[in-house]
Amino acid sequence: MKKIIFLLFFGTTFFVNGQDKGTVFGGFETNAQWYLNDKTLYDEFYNSVSQPENPVRSNSYLFVNYKIKNWSFGVQGEAYEQDALLNYNPKYKGVNLATYYARFKMEKIDVTAGYFYEQFGSGLLLRTWEDRALGINNALRGGRIIFKPVSSFTLKAVYGQQRTGFDVSNGKIYGVDADISLSDLFKFENSDLGIGFSYVGRDEKTDIVNPKFNDVTNGFAGRINYSHGSFYLSSEYDYKSEDAVVQVRNQIDNNLIKPGSALLFNMGYSKRGLGIDGTFRRLENMSFFSERIAKGNSFNDLIMNYIPSLTKQHHYNLANIYVYQAQPNVILNDVSIVKAGEIGGQIDLFYNFKKGSKLGGKYGTKVAVNYSQYNALGGKFYIYTPQDYQTDFFGFGKKYFSDVNVEITKKWNNKLQTVLSYINQYYNKKLVEETYGEVKTNIIGAEATYRFNDTKSLRLQGEHMWADSDKKNWAALTAEVNLGTKYTIFASDMYNYGNDDPKLRINYYTIGNSYRYKSTRVSLSYGRQRGGLVCVGGVCRYVPESTGVSLSLNTSF
Amino acid sequence: MKNLVTLFLIFAGILAYSQTKMPDVSLSDIDGKKVSIKNDFNEKDKIYVFSFWATWCTPCINELDEMNDVKGEWTKNLNIEIIAVATDDSRTQKRIKPLVNGKGWDYKILLDSNQDLKRALSIVNIPYTVVVKNGEIVHIQNGYVPGSEDELYTKLKTL
Repeated sequence: MKKIIFLLFFGTTFFVNGQDKGTVFGGFETNAQWYLNDKTLYDEFYNSVSQPENPVRSNSYLFVNYKIKNWSFGVQGEAYEQDALLNYNPKYKGVNLATYYARFKMEKIDVTAGYFYEQFGSGLLLRTWEDRALGINNALRGGRIIFKPVSSFTLKAVYGQQRTGFDVSNGKIYGVDADISLSDLFKFENSDLGIGFSYVGRDEKTDIVNPKFNDVTNGFAGRINYSHGSFYLSSEYDYKSEDAVVQVRNQIDNNLIKPGSALLFNMGYSKRGLGIDGTFRRLENMSFFSERIAKGNSFNDLIMNYIPSLTKQHHYNLANIYVYQAQPNVILNDVSIVKAGEIGGQIDLFYNFKKGSKLGGKYGTKVAVNYSQYNALGGKFYIYTPQDYQTDFFGFGKKYFSDVNVEITKKWNNKLQTVLSYINQYYNKKLVEETYGEVKTNIIGAEATYRFNDTKSLRLQGEHMWADSDKKNWAALTAEVNLGTKYTIFASDMYNYGNDDPKLRINYYTIGNSYRYKSTRVSLSYGRQRGGLVCVGGVCRYVPESTGVSLSLNTSF
Repeated sequence: MKNLVTLFLIFAGILAYSQTKMPDVSLSDIDGKKVSIKNDFNEKDKIYVFSFWATWCTPCINELDEMNDVKGEWTKNLNIEIIAVATDDSRTQKRIKPLVNGKGWDYKILLDSNQDLKRALSIVNIPYTVVVKNGEIVHIQNGYVPGSEDELYTKLKTL
């Protein structure tokens, strides 16, 4: 069946193209890795890194669309040869048709059949998206209608099953979302006001005998957005109806049936040269999967909603060793590890010291300050049978994570720009990862970009992290030479010199180069990958330690 | 492996047919107003520079900082508008407004929160700059290093 669709699609494409109508667009991406043996790179159990079966692996994606008048059609083919890169979902195997769609779009109506990506509000109830670096593609396969009768009103209705590998979920998902711009409707002159409502249902038959929960789980959400001049405010509340809690992977707990909720509140003030922003979020039992037992899978498979960690995403390597992962889940493990969600927030401040002022100098000085902290929910937790919990709405339990950081960017003259950062983190590894340990870190990062002439430049970045436990201190250095605007050579090293175990004082080095021309980028590198979490947008994927050669190529057309 | 070769062949075939129209996607601007990429950026002969960035992407911010400094000169000499398309998802989206104002940028800011436009243009890495004139993509700049802005300006003058 899939092959037929594939052939039909290309047949139509080329036929119509022959008559010179419509346009074709899309892209191609491949990420290949040649894994090598490395006798001096160990994991914590002293196992040295050895080649996996099929040491040459690649993930490739070809996305082709054809658009004619109000119609568009598209397919994405994916190839995982000889196998997918290490620690990707094993469901990604071989070459296959991954997604396809047909879409009809006019000003007031937009209809899609096939696979589509959608997000309601902030995504806390429903978000389908693609992130190749994390192996996430949870597109819905089914249908979507977007109806915009007037510019101030948008209504969306979706139905489908979620993509998992080259198949779809057993659970069926349906939802509606309405978005209303009140300021448009009532012709507000100086402010913007919008509201939105969503409903998402997940229908998954259970094979549990005498289930104490329904096949259908309902999610409701309301949101508001307001801005007036320099001031703005937004909020969203989500509620998920009672459902069986899954604490341990693959185990549906028929005796712990709980609802979930999320509250997000954000406000800020910003004018030229100054921005202040604050966010508060409370999550309780809010993970949502298209199949109940998928909860806790390490491949981000079958996730229906997007629960990012609301912290600053650092670009320093060492600041990404102890990364916070949002904690929406319930765990009633033992007295010292009880969780039902998280409560916390972050504050951002951006300030620009003007050009010509005392601190601004000739080119201005930019300062960014960020503080975030998240705690477990406070309340009563009963860990022995029958398990249960009652949370307090504004109750703060044990601290999961905090991060205070300052970044100062200064351009000295036409040739030199520097960035200086200080980061202080607290990471409760025991509670976040459900293992053991607690780490406090101080990180200093300094970065300088020097321009030799019009197109040749050098970027140097030095970092140091003082950590009081776990793997202790690290130092890192990155150098990047840009020879012209198209070609870059880079080298970096992260050295865990402070590790208590001399055998684990490892250098993670990488050297490589990349070439860019128009929409094409090719990059080739050799080096070691630190084992741990690779995170994009607060969602993480675990990668094992490895050594090897990487080649990546991407282009669009 | 044979399958992979087939995939490459199809790909090569498509390249020969590809055209360069800006996709028809609707996004919100920073104040929540709906904007159509196709219909709202179609002034005849005007050059639109869509610069894809994110609040966590340092080279993107460097590029927009640099362009902000030279923007006055560009707009004096050319009929041009720079649009900064923020690809931040809901994790970092709330940082866009304070960052843009804190930096004192005066670009039009669009929010591509679920990456619909980024995906339609098959953008893998940012920064990524797409130059559009009369609805056609006339130039693409992939990545940013110091000096890229001068090269872009030289190119814009020839369009």
